[in-house]
Amino acid sequence: MGLATETMVLNMGPHHPSTHGVLRFILRTDGELIHMCRPDIGYLHRGLEKIAEQLPYAQFMPYTDRLDYLAAMNCNLGYAITVERAAGIEVPLRAEYIRVLVAELNRIISHLISVGTFAMDMGAVTPFTHSIREREWVNDLFEELCGARLTYNYIRFGGVAFDLPEGFLDRLSRFLDYFEPRLEQYNRFISRNKIFKERLVGVAVISRQQALDYALVGPNLRASGIDWDLRRDEPYSVYGDLDFDVPLGNPEFGVVGDCYTRYWIRILEMEQSVRILRQCIVKMPEGSHWNRSKKKLKVPPGEIYVRTEAPRGELGFYLISQGGPWPHRLKLRTGSFSAMSIIEELGSGLMVADLVALIASLDVVAPEVDR
Amino acid sequence: METESILERIRRIIGDTDPVWVDDQPGDPYLVVPKEKLRRLAIYLKGDPHLAFDTLMCLSGVHNMGEPDEMEVVYHLHSMRHRHRFVLKVKLDRPPFFPHFYLRVDSVSSIWPAAAWMEREAYDMFGIHFVGHNDFRRLLLPPDWEGHPLQKDYREPEAYREISTTREEVEGIVVGS
Repeated sequence: MGLATETMVLNMGPHHPSTHGVLRFILRTDGELIHMCRPDIGYLHRGLEKIAEQLPYAQFMPYTDRLDYLAAMNCNLGYAITVERAAGIEVPLRAEYIRVLVAELNRIISHLISVGTFAMDMGAVTPFTHSIREREWVNDLFEELCGARLTYNYIRFGGVAFDLPEGFLDRLSRFLDYFEPRLEQYNRFISRNKIFKERLVGVAVISRQQALDYALVGPNLRASGIDWDLRRDEPYSVYGDLDFDVPLGNPEFGVVGDCYTRYWIRILEMEQSVRILRQCIVKMPEGSHWNRSKKKLKVPPGEIYVRTEAPRGELGFYLISQGGPWPHRLKLRTGSFSAMSIIEELGSGLMVADLVALIASLDVVAPEVDR
Repeated sequence: METESILERIRRIIGDTDPVWVDDQPGDPYLVVPKEKLRRLAIYLKGDPHLAFDTLMCLSGVHNMGEPDEMEVVYHLHSMRHRHRFVLKVKLDRPPFFPHFYLRVDSVSSIWPAAAWMEREAYDMFGIHFVGHNDFRRLLLPPDWEGHPLQKDYREPEAYREISTTREEVEGIVVGS
């Protein structure tokens, strides 16, 4: 004879601290156990796709910053590559290296926030302040580079807006020298922390098949053991000339595809980003930073789907041009969107507290879901 | 597998005449499939071991105003096993009367679960109905929103639940010119 229980509907959000932006979940729970979990999204819908259809190509660049404000450089980069491929614009080599440099730097700070908020959602507030501290340094570097700390609007069609200021690379390598040992400190502090591990290992496992079915991308996909990284497998910019590993979820970390693996993959990716950055510093060529065209930008009629590896995985731009000054259609395909859609399936059967871990481990950013 | 051999395999299953292969424009070539054959083809694309399109990368709606007034649903497929990709398109007529009756296409959400939310978004933005979807409602906009904003002839309602959607004009600043 079990205890008679009754399900109840619990509303989580839209302003719950663990929801990383404005998200709402409608849960049907039986005590602590979730029977049904229904995400309700759209609170941050700004109609970016509609805006794109009404602006000249170049003017949409600042909006891509707002697509994912934690990784604005990567969004800039994806959009720039899309238009360049459609219009056939060449990019000088120095600009390509600067682009990879800022993209990887942005990946590091995006993962820092992800890891920091993850620990905070699990009840450890201090690691977040540490990750913010490291991020501040990078924000200063970006500010020096383009004047903005969060929404950069730095990458242009055919290059980047400004050349690297004097001594930038020295300051960057000083940051890397400072940052690399810090990562080890993180590992001592949280990654190998017994409480943190017990809380996450084996929680909300996403199988290989589920990851494919729901079109998960980026670190979430690799945590499920699928070896796919667009930087390596469909190289764009100068990633083909750079040497880096793609960390994969494997049983050494716990269970493949659980919350802890998704966390750990991000730590490993930061190490790889540091490696890429060091190569960029050494290889940085001289030359022009912007192949600035005097002619009006003309995108011939046609359509193209370009995807790049943003911190939250594949960022796809599907551009249809009819030859006009603005796109006929621009579809934004983001990593967080597919990550959100799997929560509906995975949520049922979890404990309420584990749902928080799941959301945090997928590194969902609400503006990227809602666009 | 090369795009040409993928196309050849698809032609074999769907019959030679129907699908239209468009590759005379810059960018990605695509295959236009009659909507009656979409579901059968989707099952084959996922199931065939040589094609094995196990991931739906992106599903987009497109509205082409003009002659004829039509909508498109575009499927960007990717195979993680073979590392190749392919683009499918379905075209739907949008006659001036009872357009919702014509804007219907089979849902592929039972084949690629990722499509479930993408189709809901396409419905939300374009008013395309996906038949056989088991949780079909708006995704991003409120359930009682009127119209589908990404249609080219969409007019924003003046108010939503008595909240104005425009700002009052301030002297010297032109809003929504």
